[in-house]
Amino acid sequence: MIRSYLGAVLGVVLACAAAPAQVSYGDLVKAQEQPRNWLNYHGGYSGQRHSGLTEITPENVKNLRLKWAFQERMSEKFETTPLALDGVLYITVPPGDVYALDAETGARLWRYSRNLPPKLIACCGLVNRGLGMLGDRLFMATLDAYTIALDRKTGRLLWESKMIDYSQGYSGTLAPLVVKDKVMTGTAGGEYGIRGFIDAYDVETGERSWRFYTIPGPGEFGHDTWAGDSWRRGGASIWITPSYDPELNLVYWGVGNPGPDWNGDVRLGDNLFSDSVVALDADTGERKWHFQFTPHDVHDWDATQVMVLFDSEYKGEERKLLVTFNRNGFSYLLDRESGEFLRAGEYVKQDWAIGIDEEGRPIRRPGKLPTAEGNEVYPRVAGGTNWMSPTFSPQTNLIYVTCGEGSSIYVKGPSEYRPGTRYWGSMFLNEETSRDWTGAVRAFDPLTGKKVWEHPLFRPTLAGLVSTAGGLVFAGTSDGFFKALDAASGEELWRINLGAQIIASPISFGSKGRQHVAVAAGGGIFVFALP
Amino acid sequence: MRAFLPFAAAAAVLCATAAARTHETNPFGSAEDFAVGKRLYRVNCGVCHGMEGKTGRGARLARKVHRRANTDAEMFDLIEKGVPGTDMPGLWLGEDDIWKILLFVRTFEKTAEEPCAAAPGDAAQGKDIFFNRAACAACHTVGMGGGRLGPDMSFAGASFSREQLRVALVEPHRDVAERYRVGRVETQDGKKREGVVMAENGYSLFLMDRSEETLGFQKAELKSFQISRESLMPSYAGVLSAADMDHLLAYLCSLRGSEKGAAQ
Repeated sequence: MIRSYLGAVLGVVLACAAAPAQVSYGDLVKAQEQPRNWLNYHGGYSGQRHSGLTEITPENVKNLRLKWAFQERMSEKFETTPLALDGVLYITVPPGDVYALDAETGARLWRYSRNLPPKLIACCGLVNRGLGMLGDRLFMATLDAYTIALDRKTGRLLWESKMIDYSQGYSGTLAPLVVKDKVMTGTAGGEYGIRGFIDAYDVETGERSWRFYTIPGPGEFGHDTWAGDSWRRGGASIWITPSYDPELNLVYWGVGNPGPDWNGDVRLGDNLFSDSVVALDADTGERKWHFQFTPHDVHDWDATQVMVLFDSEYKGEERKLLVTFNRNGFSYLLDRESGEFLRAGEYVKQDWAIGIDEEGRPIRRPGKLPTAEGNEVYPRVAGGTNWMSPTFSPQTNLIYVTCGEGSSIYVKGPSEYRPGTRYWGSMFLNEETSRDWTGAVRAFDPLTGKKVWEHPLFRPTLAGLVSTAGGLVFAGTSDGFFKALDAASGEELWRINLGAQIIASPISFGSKGRQHVAVAAGGGIFVFALP
Repeated sequence: MRAFLPFAAAAAVLCATAAARTHETNPFGSAEDFAVGKRLYRVNCGVCHGMEGKTGRGARLARKVHRRANTDAEMFDLIEKGVPGTDMPGLWLGEDDIWKILLFVRTFEKTAEEPCAAAPGDAAQGKDIFFNRAACAACHTVGMGGGRLGPDMSFAGASFSREQLRVALVEPHRDVAERYRVGRVETQDGKKREGVVMAENGYSLFLMDRSEETLGFQKAELKSFQISRESLMPSYAGVLSAADMDHLLAYLCSLRGSEKGAAQ
């Protein structure tokens, strides 16, 4: 019958148009080889935040135009990294919303809004940095300390798993990492006397597969690096998406600061695994190795910077490497298979350490701890860099980092623990020193740590970077500019004033055969393309 | 911790409900209460208001008379609810804790300088000096009148001690607020301009010059520019007689925002 024949044909056509491909684990492994989509927080497991798209180049970037903007009323900082899949962007909007936006027009396809309790606890704003994705599901860590799964086509809640009681100072702010059949999250709250952990949940059921405590319990390795019972509330939070090596099956987590932040008297010892990278088996959560950047930190220098993975010959040997620019002012190169320390070097002004010894341990300079009166130390409390993403370009073999120069006054004070309240051990002062702060985007050789170029910024910024195979690096500033730099020279080639501070890292994606660049600024998502 | 602005958003939850005030005056007063209040102040307030209530980006607490709240009940309510439109958050602490913080905050007032003393001097003559003889009003506003270049003096008597005002008159460069920094630029054709910095970002600089014109410059197009922490205000040391200085200070100390049209 003709009618039913036509109906069947139409049905097939509609099904083809309406059903985006399922995102498989294999897609996530090869995410950087599918640059049309941006499938996880870093645009790939390596943490490189590099786009293979080549349409926008140093020659034509001057023609880049705003294609659309999406705006939402917002009093919080907008830190989201969008995910892009088959012409749809998926974003989180603080404090607890998720939106699907048409990548061509910005039209809102659906919205999920989490019913959050009225009094959340978060040190630095009710923020969220993005989503994880697998199959037709999206995953989110929430401010009330749940991990949740949403249907990617409608935003419907599929499951929610309580990580822990948020009222004790715990929260979820990071974009989850999906590996095989597990979604991994962790807990923020390092300023509230929490005991940090990393969780893995079954993507189908939401059932917890394993938990790794970032502060070892009694009998576990590293437990003796915490005096008394300080391990129970020593912080070591998790708030940035890790990188992952599928061949080694290791997940590289940067761990937050120990608490109380600026008074370490109650937590004498190295305080493992605070301010460390821990390499965990993705299937079991078992720790394979760790490396601590700042033992017994008293400056709030979380190691929650992105662990960037790349392979290269190093001293005559092909190595699987990990490079990271730490908040403490030093960059580090490690062997990511063994955790072996290979090199460290200063990348901003610092005066708290005389240097780094052969084992990778800092040699502290006397007189640089916080004091009751306040002690000026470089780098500033926000660090030489912070959580915003660096980018590594396989084209140039350079790593690009947003840097901040300056000092803070670090003050040591009392540190009494009361559940759910700030457990800081005093504070820091920026009032005087911030007048002299400056920022920069810098390009470094990751093997040597040598600076190749620098693009100065008016002030430090919390905006991250994305590099593209077209030969560009996109950057944001605290005074509202979004700009394109020549990846080879650092020369500024294009800029636009978005009218509000950028506190997020950009991405690049493809839609209808054209390259796009997207970034969150103020309360908006801004998407750019060539005319 | 992630960044450096944790305060406004830090709704630290101890009690599930906000503190309902059940007293008009502070019911606490013991040494133990004071010690608790001091500790809570350091953790919750000191970052912005300074450990002695004198420094930071929060309001100066070391003063005899506060601008927004003065009675115990007013102070309590302000601490509990915060100040909308500013970075001062409400504090999610129990009633007892807020009273104890207030107990400690009150000690700042004891070390604060005296409120602006009206004597010696004649405020009426001071007003004439302000608006006519010394032409202070060329740069400073009182109520609806005066210039835009310097700080609004409508609340001078409520905001500063007499001594602070005297120092500002004779040593204007000693303590210049961020808002009144001076920019000096030289253009490519050698012209030099100066003014109060209205706005600055990585690429541009906007100054208000002495005629209250807003001047915009692209930094890259300038021969040079610098931002100074000096004030545009001249020193009045030796310019005004001692008697005239007293008259002027008496007038400034009389300014409590009561002039018609003054910002409330």
